[in-house]
Amino acid sequence: MDILILIISAILVKNIVLAEYLGNCPFLGTSKKMDTAIGMGMAVIFVLILASIITWVVQIYALVPLDLVYLQTIVFILVIATLVQLVELFLKKTVPPLYQSLGIFLPLITTNCAVLGVAILNIRRGHSFIEMLIFSASSAIGFAIALILLAGLRERFEISDIPRPLQGTAIGLVTAGLMALAFFGFQGVDNALKAL
Amino acid sequence: MATLAKDFTKGLWKEIPPFRLVLGLCPTLAVTKSAMNGLGMGAAATFVLLMSNIIIASLRNVIPKKVRLASYIVIIATFVVIVENVMQAYTYGLYERLGIFIPLIVVNCIILGRAEAFASKNAVIHSAADGLGMGLGFTISLTVLGALREILGTGSLFGIPVMWSSFEPFTFMVEAPGAFICLGLILGIMNVLGD
Amino acid sequence: MKDIFKMLVVLTLICAVCGLLLAFVREQTKDKIEEQVLLNVKGPAVSKVLQGSENDLIKDRRTIKIDGKEMVVFIGKKENTPWAFAFETSAGGFGGDIGVITGFSLEKNELTGIGITTHKETPGLGSRVTEDSFSMGFKDKPLTSEFKVKADGGVIDAISGATISSRGVCTAVRNAVAVSKEVKNGIK
Repeated sequence: MDILILIISAILVKNIVLAEYLGNCPFLGTSKKMDTAIGMGMAVIFVLILASIITWVVQIYALVPLDLVYLQTIVFILVIATLVQLVELFLKKTVPPLYQSLGIFLPLITTNCAVLGVAILNIRRGHSFIEMLIFSASSAIGFAIALILLAGLRERFEISDIPRPLQGTAIGLVTAGLMALAFFGFQGVDNALKAL
Repeated sequence: MATLAKDFTKGLWKEIPPFRLVLGLCPTLAVTKSAMNGLGMGAAATFVLLMSNIIIASLRNVIPKKVRLASYIVIIATFVVIVENVMQAYTYGLYERLGIFIPLIVVNCIILGRAEAFASKNAVIHSAADGLGMGLGFTISLTVLGALREILGTGSLFGIPVMWSSFEPFTFMVEAPGAFICLGLILGIMNVLGD
Repeated sequence: MKDIFKMLVVLTLICAVCGLLLAFVREQTKDKIEEQVLLNVKGPAVSKVLQGSENDLIKDRRTIKIDGKEMVVFIGKKENTPWAFAFETSAGGFGGDIGVITGFSLEKNELTGIGITTHKETPGLGSRVTEDSFSMGFKDKPLTSEFKVKADGGVIDAISGATISSRGVCTAVRNAVAVSKEVKNGIK
């Protein structure tokens, strides 16, 4: 039951982009076309889960025993940057088709605050290994869902008559705001589940 | 001298982040529930931006091209950890309210963006002017957005009530949807002003 | 080859300088941060259980060793003489560990009260252990009392619908009572 609440909460109620404000730059930057949105979404799911596992292990088995918790930020970002490079090399060598579809998004992921953000949230909320896995996977899926939904909406903008000053990022943000409002409604689901 | 002034002032209006230079959206949306939070976040980011620009510009001829991004990240992260420690020690309340967005300054694209686009190619003094200008611009944007959301969302400014007594606050403004819509409309207004 | 060598040297140097700088900043801010965390996380609960003290509770804290573990003890003073002390213990509740500050009187064999520092209980149910109506049940109780919920044969009124959380707090208080003598000797 707790696991189910954690999943629903991370995907819908506390969606990392629409409620927790993480990963907004790629959210608005790669949502103009459906293909890019899907590619970015998949790349984030992949890297975010991997990065969360490694940073969690580093935190519990290296930083805490060595009393170096204050270095968390710098260690985590280096781990993520290195990981992204390794994933890029690995995909290039072993799965070229996947590399071709995800490759261009990988460098962008280092500076995607959703990845570092979820890694830090896992530690701050004191998640166990299982909770960390579920929270990271659900958050990443939540990111992909929000991104793909927004791309679907923004593709329609090409044929609609938007006032000139609002074109581009401005209308993207307003649309994201309306989506956030819609996701707000899921709060009821969360409360209902908790009351069970 | 004229170019130095230009390097400084472009961050305040012509390329003011995040309204003109649309980068660093996460902290912009997340912490601007109140003007004070916006100001605190802006000040923290300005410090990191200024210091990292100075250090990166002074090391620009020493750092090999291939490892430049790694070096920039280490330098930026160092200043972020310093800010984290200092804020925790001296402004604990603000540190708690800004939450994970303080460590996340490290992935703020404005800072890495300025390092790569400006500090790696320009002299120290110019990079400092650029960093300070961009940082101040970011601080102004965040404070304005925070003030707007705080006034409409709670009826106060910097915690002091400013609206008439029968004013009914739009609580929606201090929640996530309000953040997105408010920033979207400001971008629209900036586009009108720019034309 | 020369390139790789240069890259290595530069990166190592940058990391070393950054590391030194951070260690220095850490040294400078460490004590202040510890004090701030105590003040903001434990402070409210401590001043609640040691109500009436005239000293700066956070500044006058002592660190003693109990069973090889370090423990922070807060000492309340009236007219410059200690009248009570308090320290934190924890026990599992419904959502995770509940941190409880328990205060002990030095004059009488009584609790001065309890306060909750950290918890992850369900909002509106288990979280009600932080309310005064629950914690008042511990105030001025003799140390010999059964600190258990009434359903388990104790003297504490459990919060309805949150027995597990109430039990967690009771366990933490019993843990505190169990070591209170040692702590009392430790701060003399």
